[in-house]
Amino acid sequence: MSTFQYLTEEWRAEAERRLKAELTPDRMNRITSSMSNVYLDCPGGGSKYLLFRFADGALAELALGAGEPPDAEFHITGAYDVFARISRAELGAQKALMTGQLKLKGNMIKALKLAAIADRLNKVLAGIPAAY
Amino acid sequence: MKTLDPASPYFIDFPRRVRELQAEMARAGVDVYLGSRLRTLSWLLDVFCPWRSFVVVPAEGPPAAFTFVIDAARVADETWLPEDRVFGFAPMGGQDQIELIAEFIKDLLKGRKGRVGIESGMSNYLPEGNLTHYEYERFRDALAPSELLNAHDLVDRLSLVKDAGTIARFREASRIVDVGHAAVFDALRNGGWKGLTETEIAGLAALAMRRAGSEWEWSFTGGNEIASGYRTGLTGGACTPASRRELRAGEPLMVDIHAMFMLGLGDHSHNYLIAPATDRQLWHARNFTDIVALTLETYRAGISPSELAERMIGFAEGRGFADYMVPGFEHGIGLMGDEWRIGLNDGPFPYWTDPDHRYRESEVLICAMQYACPEENIGFRYENPIVIRKDGCEHLSKFPLGVDVVS
Repeated sequence: MSTFQYLTEEWRAEAERRLKAELTPDRMNRITSSMSNVYLDCPGGGSKYLLFRFADGALAELALGAGEPPDAEFHITGAYDVFARISRAELGAQKALMTGQLKLKGNMIKALKLAAIADRLNKVLAGIPAAY
Repeated sequence: MKTLDPASPYFIDFPRRVRELQAEMARAGVDVYLGSRLRTLSWLLDVFCPWRSFVVVPAEGPPAAFTFVIDAARVADETWLPEDRVFGFAPMGGQDQIELIAEFIKDLLKGRKGRVGIESGMSNYLPEGNLTHYEYERFRDALAPSELLNAHDLVDRLSLVKDAGTIARFREASRIVDVGHAAVFDALRNGGWKGLTETEIAGLAALAMRRAGSEWEWSFTGGNEIASGYRTGLTGGACTPASRRELRAGEPLMVDIHAMFMLGLGDHSHNYLIAPATDRQLWHARNFTDIVALTLETYRAGISPSELAERMIGFAEGRGFADYMVPGFEHGIGLMGDEWRIGLNDGPFPYWTDPDHRYRESEVLICAMQYACPEENIGFRYENPIVIRKDGCEHLSKFPLGVDVVS
């Protein structure tokens, strides 16, 4: 099985393929929403973002970029290393939020409704064999 | 969110209220108002916020509400604000109340800095909700270099005189309280009082009032206050959470019950003597009912608390019972959370009633009188929300004034 370098275009393409294959609109509760993960202190310096956009439960966009993230309903910001630990299943996303290692910007009332969906999404990403 | 219905008798024009506050903010040079007092939350959001909550009022546009995340969806469901203006805070990165609110405020300020009005002060009312010292320091640091200034007087001025919808809510809450009193009276008479405890009376009044539409027995003094025997006559005592004390023949009973209707508050006390009543007890009872009747006749626009107190104490002196009167005849009231001083914060003692406050038409207050004779183990309490009118007052609870002897 191939190993993908975390947060590269190859990794993004594999993530998109798996998300579309494994998360049906029904599994995603037919949500319409968007979320940007903002990775600080990336290897080599600077920050990156990974933007998820869902329309009626279907992944409409998965964009990887550097610098300022585009507008999204939710922004989750944290160090690259924290996201990497979450992807390696060494750290739970909820725990990372509750210990302040990740910061969420967006309406908590809606975020609570999406928490289980975010977990499903993270589980798919964690399944990608990756090098960090 | 709920829809505001201008045709409802209980309609309050909250968007207009917000615009009036924003006009006051502009005059005072306040760019954003951060409200934390329970009275401010009720007055702006039209929803009961039992957990620590905040309201952020921008220079223009709708306010935003912030509350503990476990209650945020309910607040969003019940307030008139759209769902996207209600936020829950939680112990999560970026979502704790200080960072969440400070970031929200900074986004409202030009250049992310300005003058932020806060609510600070003191109160005898425990759930007042002024910013704590810790909250103040955290907000000050998080909002730096913005200036934080105490601005509660903006809300206090605007909320002093009540609109028709607010008064209608108080009137309905008082009607409900009267239902509670009728239920208590029914339970006490014909020997029904035997074996009853103060807590049971509090409970049966609560059940009757809830059946009649009350949301809860809102008072922080333990809900419905019931006192029997010596407890009615505690010196200066105007706070009697119900105890497990059983009613006894020959003793007084004070029933002070509370209902809430759409954040409007009912608060009325009625008094009894459990038979047999002595002549001396009946003398005390006449003193009490006479001074209550005179007080209700005296309230009107233009009078002040000190003038009214002087007249009433003079009356009591002439009748020989001044020693038993607590020399205060009212307390402030507004939508849930507003239960303390009279007037604005400009009296001789900060954050206490201004004795020289001149009542204006459509102010609402609780006519509150306490008669206490501890050496004879007897006392009575009167409370009733009243609306100040040009030539008098409207007392909202209609339960007949009297001290009923029940056997």
